[in-house]
Amino acid sequence: MAEDQQVLRMVWEARVPICFSLSPREISTMHQPDPYYLMLPRISYLPLVIDKVIKHFSNFVTEYKKQGTDLWIDFEGKPLKWHYPIGVLWDLFTNETTIPWNLTLHFENFPEDELIRFNNRALIESMFMSTIKEADALKHRSQVINAMLERDHNQLWMGLQNDKFDQFWSVNRKLMEHTNDELFRHIPFRVYEQNKSFIQRLIKPVLESGELATVKDLMNLIYPYSQDDTQSVTFVIHGIKLPLDAPLQWLSENMSYPDNFLHICAFAKSNS
Amino acid sequence: MATEAANDAIAERNETDGVVKVDVLLKATGDVPIMKKKKWLIDANKTVLSVITFIKQYLKLDANEPLFLYVSQSFCPSPDHRIRNLYDCFAVDGRLIFYYSKTPAWG
Repeated sequence: MAEDQQVLRMVWEARVPICFSLSPREISTMHQPDPYYLMLPRISYLPLVIDKVIKHFSNFVTEYKKQGTDLWIDFEGKPLKWHYPIGVLWDLFTNETTIPWNLTLHFENFPEDELIRFNNRALIESMFMSTIKEADALKHRSQVINAMLERDHNQLWMGLQNDKFDQFWSVNRKLMEHTNDELFRHIPFRVYEQNKSFIQRLIKPVLESGELATVKDLMNLIYPYSQDDTQSVTFVIHGIKLPLDAPLQWLSENMSYPDNFLHICAFAKSNS
Repeated sequence: MATEAANDAIAERNETDGVVKVDVLLKATGDVPIMKKKKWLIDANKTVLSVITFIKQYLKLDANEPLFLYVSQSFCPSPDHRIRNLYDCFAVDGRLIFYYSKTPAWG
């Protein structure tokens, strides 16, 4: 893994440009707020990185809403899920749109049917840690994560929250290690399509033939009906189109999000 | 591998009118009432959240009371996880086992 340290860093440091505006209906002052521009980490979560945005806009809404308990964000009317990493939301929605990404902040009318409330950090922390545990259940039958101390678990969360690469990876390394003759039992991945819930299935890093499983094998698993025609779907992670021959074990170790899952967006290729 | 094949066979067998239903076992852990009926056939397209809501209604718990749902005695799946995903990844002998608890039980 050491030789790919550079890849881990690039994944960690990737940022996306976002322009936040306040929902025009909620502006209660004569003065119009300026938009707020930020470069946000792909690997993080919206509630962890928009404190300044909330503070900026809270001066323009009526007093009782300021606490932000009903806070949510949309892109062209579509509410964004808090618990998806920012990079996943970006890859799903900004396919070929212009940058920066224009998002709208709301302090009221929370879309109860579409979103889960995520208005405190403890909730995001437990969701994040649960996802790491789920990933380790797939990779190592939970043996690595269960052998860790509470302190290690905290370090994973603090590393992400404070954007500290070394702090995070000194622990995460143990979750991502494998010996040559023993790869992960299964590869933790989720495939996202616009306006649908994500797909998660079992896939091993090695085929029955003994060869390494690749992105193409994953495509065939998720889209079995287009087996002869895998070219009709494109898989994207961290904004990068995945080559069909990339081995899943390598991807899992090097391009997983901090929650230890490969979050992959699937797009139908246009026929043109 | 044998387990995975068995899971597939069961998922197919229970498919009627395009709705795939899977075997789910709901087990209590910690200080929480036990459900009389433990085995359920659940629409694979349902979410974890809908299972939590169902258990709360069945046990007549307050809707605002927390209820934790665990898979593999190790993690709480995200509320928007589909049962199909969890069944495909974590079912044992063709059955997905959830543990429910009023307090955090594992991890």
